[in-house]
Parts: sequence; structure tokens; C-alpha cells
Amino acid sequence: MALTIDTFLLILRLLFVILLYLFLMQVVLAITRDLRRASAVDQAGVGKAAVSLGSLVVVDSGLSTTISPGRTFRLEPQTSIGRGPTNTIQLADNFISTEHTHLWYRHGKWYVQDVGSKSGTYVNEQPARDAIPAKPGDIVRVGHIKFKLTQ
Amino acid sequence: MANRSPGVLQRYRWTELGLFIIPFLLLLLEMSQLLIAKADPHSSLSKSNLPTLQGLIPALGVIAVLLAVNMLFSIFFRKADQVLLPLVGLLSGFGVLMATRLGPDLSPTPDPELGSRQLLWLLLGVSVCVVTVFLLRNVEWLERYKYTAVAFGIFLVGVTLLRTLQVHNFDAPGHDQLSIGPFGFQPSELLKICIVIFFAAYLSENRDILSEGNLHLGPVRLPPLRQLGPLVLMLGLALLLFLFVRELGLALLIYGIFLCMIYLGSGKIAYVVASLLIFVILGYIGYKLFGYVRARFGVLGIDILNWNDRSEQLYNQPGGAYQIVQGLIALSSGGILGAGLGLGHPAGRFFVPVVQSDMIFTALGEEFGLAGLFAIIGIYLLILYRGFRIAVEATTPFTQLLAAGLTSIFALQTLIITAGNMKFLPLTGIPLPFLSYGGSSLLANYIIIGILLRISYDTAMEREGHV
Repeated sequence: MALTIDTFLLILRLLFVILLYLFLMQVVLAITRDLRRASAVDQAGVGKAAVSLGSLVVVDSGLSTTISPGRTFRLEPQTSIGRGPTNTIQLADNFISTEHTHLWYRHGKWYVQDVGSKSGTYVNEQPARDAIPAKPGDIVRVGHIKFKLTQ
Repeated sequence: MANRSPGVLQRYRWTELGLFIIPFLLLLLEMSQLLIAKADPHSSLSKSNLPTLQGLIPALGVIAVLLAVNMLFSIFFRKADQVLLPLVGLLSGFGVLMATRLGPDLSPTPDPELGSRQLLWLLLGVSVCVVTVFLLRNVEWLERYKYTAVAFGIFLVGVTLLRTLQVHNFDAPGHDQLSIGPFGFQPSELLKICIVIFFAAYLSENRDILSEGNLHLGPVRLPPLRQLGPLVLMLGLALLLFLFVRELGLALLIYGIFLCMIYLGSGKIAYVVASLLIFVILGYIGYKLFGYVRARFGVLGIDILNWNDRSEQLYNQPGGAYQIVQGLIALSSGGILGAGLGLGHPAGRFFVPVVQSDMIFTALGEEFGLAGLFAIIGIYLLILYRGFRIAVEATTPFTQLLAAGLTSIFALQTLIITAGNMKFLPLTGIPLPFLSYGGSSLLANYIIIGILLRISYDTAMEREGHV
């Protein structure tokens, strides 16, 4: 086959399309590898739930009838408190909003933030409109209910 | 922000580097094809404008920039997403290549420097991306300054509005550009980002109230007026743009973003349906009021398969179907494999007008063929996937909505301009992300990528902190 410019260009064009689809396959492989790794970590994470990052212990249940002092709630790295069913800690209390508070653990510290509730969130009676750091021993007040943050 | 650990060589961004190999090969391949096509007597490439060394610079430039960013991120932001940049880099590389290829052939004014300018914009874009990733130390900061962000965007568009008012013909499409010397800049590109930031911040703050809805309007429950206010205000903004800046595509885009984010933020289909109804009503009013809109829609009705007098009339009238028909001819001449880069006729006096920006999709179709177009759409889909994945993994509602909203911008933009090129929707001036020639579009899109990368980095760091 005489290698004219035309045939050479044809080879180049074919090569282009082949390489392009090879690239797409490579990306999809990278993505599936990523997904598998993520699901493996999640499964391992279930086993690691025994390691506790912190808990909230009720010290004053305020006007609530269903929550009694001494009750302990284990905290996740990302915890939400509220009346709604999507919250990590669901509290059935009329003075707590559907979505009330957000707590998260970052670089070894806990942070508390109110997410637009009616009765507010306070850390040691400081309002938590913006994120406030909280350490074990601090009193976190969600609405009228006071919790103590423990290890 | 440096994240060094023992065994730095094992922790390099190998996935990203591995994914970069094929794009680099592709760019080099296409560049050599362009150079060989010069020797081909059949190619449409203007011979005088691609001397060997100057021809290679754009491809090598793109490769060098991407490698540099890969190394930079490996040192400072190892944990950021590794799949986004290769995808985006390939698209940008193609954009630069097409600009190099189309520049000398453009009519009426050939522009051999088009490729080098696009490369400069690419350099600028990537630097802005890196700067964004470095500067966004606290993404929550964006949340707090949402009103400032929108005010800034409105201010920019207001400036272009003033210049448009100097043009007294209210039926012609307006100009959405600020010119600084030889560089034109479209502030509407930045406005998109500001609006997404505002919506994300607003919707994440008021999630609670929005999903409950106290106002009753017949059978529909709406949120109280105080919450509805800013949302409706932003919507009014989109209409204002439509009225004064005459950018049909931009208004469509902003409304689409609003719809996406409303659904993502509140989870209620009722809101989406209500907004769609309002959109249809407003669209109808706009259609009746403005000849400009009527013309664009009228053009859609051209019957190409049974070419008749009406088609001839639409084809020949100024502002008519000429551009779209030429684009469709280009697409169909591509066939499955395409003509090959440099071997087709996308640009020139008798071919597709404004092919380097608005109709770049048809140029790609002619030279890369159906196979190439499918692959390019596939790349966009993968970018969308990655963006939404970053959104799902994000840790706060604000960052989730922000990532999802920014990804929706990409999705809607690609959809609108691709459909416009193929006569499914009226043709608008929205640029195809990364591929079409245009500095401000490239900059804004790289800012979006920067924000997405930063969010993915923060998410990965937070997960790390718990193991």
C-alpha cells in the first residue's frame, strides 16, 4: 500500500477517534475504582463506629416532657439536631425547629452552629449564629434543652 | 495548606497524571495532523499561516500548563479531585487547536493569531483556577457575602447596560461586552457565578422555612412572602436582562439555574412546576412584545428537507436562517469519522459565519465527525458526573448546593448551545464551555472548576481528619 498523504491522514484520523474513546474508558475506570474504594471505606466505617468522638448528655431538659436528664446521644462527625426525621439526633419537642443545630468535628475540635432555628442555639450561653468551637465540658443549649459535651 | 507526608512520591497525583497521558497524545497527534494537512493539496487550510514552529506552540503550551498545574496541586492540594482537570484540560486543548485551525480561514477578516490568543486566555484561566483554589480558604466566607456577590454582578451588567442604551435600536440583539483595547470581556459570565452563590447561600439558610410553606395560594402552598421576596427579585433580574441586554440565551440560562436550585434546595416539585408555568407565560408575553424573539423562533421553522420559497426567504433575509443552515450542512458533511482536522471547510466566506464561537459545535462536527461529537458530549457528561459527585460528598448544605448549582451551569450551557446549533432551540450567544473561542467564558468556567476542586479538597480533608 503506497503511503500517500491521504492514507496517512486517514490513519491519523482513525487513531484520533480510537484514542479519544480509550480516554473515555480510562476516565470511567478511574471513576469506578474511586466509587469502589469509597464504598469499601463506608463499610469499614461501620465497624469503626465504636470509636467515639464525643457525646451530648442532657443536663437540663427545660420544658420538654419526652427528654429526661442523663440521656446520652452519641455524636457523629457530622451531626444535625432537630425535630425533623432527617436529623442525626431527632428531638420531639415543640420548641425545637425542624432543622435546629449542626455540629461537626474538624481538625480535632467540635464546632456548633445554629441553622436558622426559632429558639436558637447557644454554647455556654453564647449565641451560635456563626460556628462556635466547643470543647468537652461546654454546655450546648438547643432551644430550652441543655446538653453537656463530653468525650 | 501544605499537606506533606512521608513517602511523597507514593502520594503524588498519579491518577491525574495517568489520565493526562492520552490527552497529551491527542493534542500532539492533532497538531501533527494540522502540519501534515498543510502539505495536502485538498485541504482548506490557508497555507501561509502555519509555519512549523508557530504551529506547535499552542499544543505544547497547553501540555506545559497542565503539567505545571498537576505538579502544583500535588504539592499543595493533593486530595482535591483528580478526574476533573484531565477532562477540562482535553476540552480546552481542543478549543485552542480549533482556534489555531480556524483563525487563518475566518472571513471577512482572517485572524492567524486566534490560537495564540486562546492559549493566552487558557493560561489566564488556569492561573485564575489555581488562585481560586488557594484563596477559598473558607468557602463559608462566600456564603456570608452573598448579597455583595450579587450586587457586584449586577453592577457589572449595569455598566454594559449603559453602553447598550447608547444603541437606540431596541429590536436588535444587544451587545453584552466591555472592550478594553483588543480584548472583549463579557461580565454576564461572572454574573452567573454570583447568582449561583446567592441562591446556594439563600436556599441553604432558609431550607427549613422553604420546605414548609405557610402561604396558601389555592391548592398550592408557598413559602411566606419574606422568604419569597429575594427569590422573586432574582427572577426579575433575569427578565431585566432579557429586556435590556437582549440576551435571550442568558435569561434562559439564569432561569434554568433558578429552577435547578429551587428543586435541589427545597425538594418540592410543586415549586418547579409553578416556576415553569410562570416561565411559559412570560415567554409568551416576550414573544408577543419583541420582534427579535419572534425572528429567532421563526427561523426555527425553516423546512430544510422540502426546500420551498419560505425556506429561501428565511435563508436569505438578514438575521435569518443562513447561519443555522450552513451549520447543519457542516454537521452533515462530517459524516461519522469527520473530515479530519484541517481537512474540512468550516470557516470561510461561503461557509459557516461566526464559527469560532457560536457555531464551534458544527466545526467540530465537520472535522471530527459523529464519533468525535459523541466523545465530546461524553466528556461533558463525565464532567457533570464529577461535579454532582463533589456536590453529594460535600459536608455542609451550602457547599452541596453551591457545587450542584455550578455543575448545573455547565449542563444548561452545553445543552442550550448544542441544541441551538442543531436547530432544536433558537440559536443564542452562549459559548460552549472550554471549546468556543472567548476569554471571559474560559475564565468564568475555570473559576467554577476552581471552586469545585476546592470543595472536593475540603471534603477529603474533613474525612481524613476522622480516620
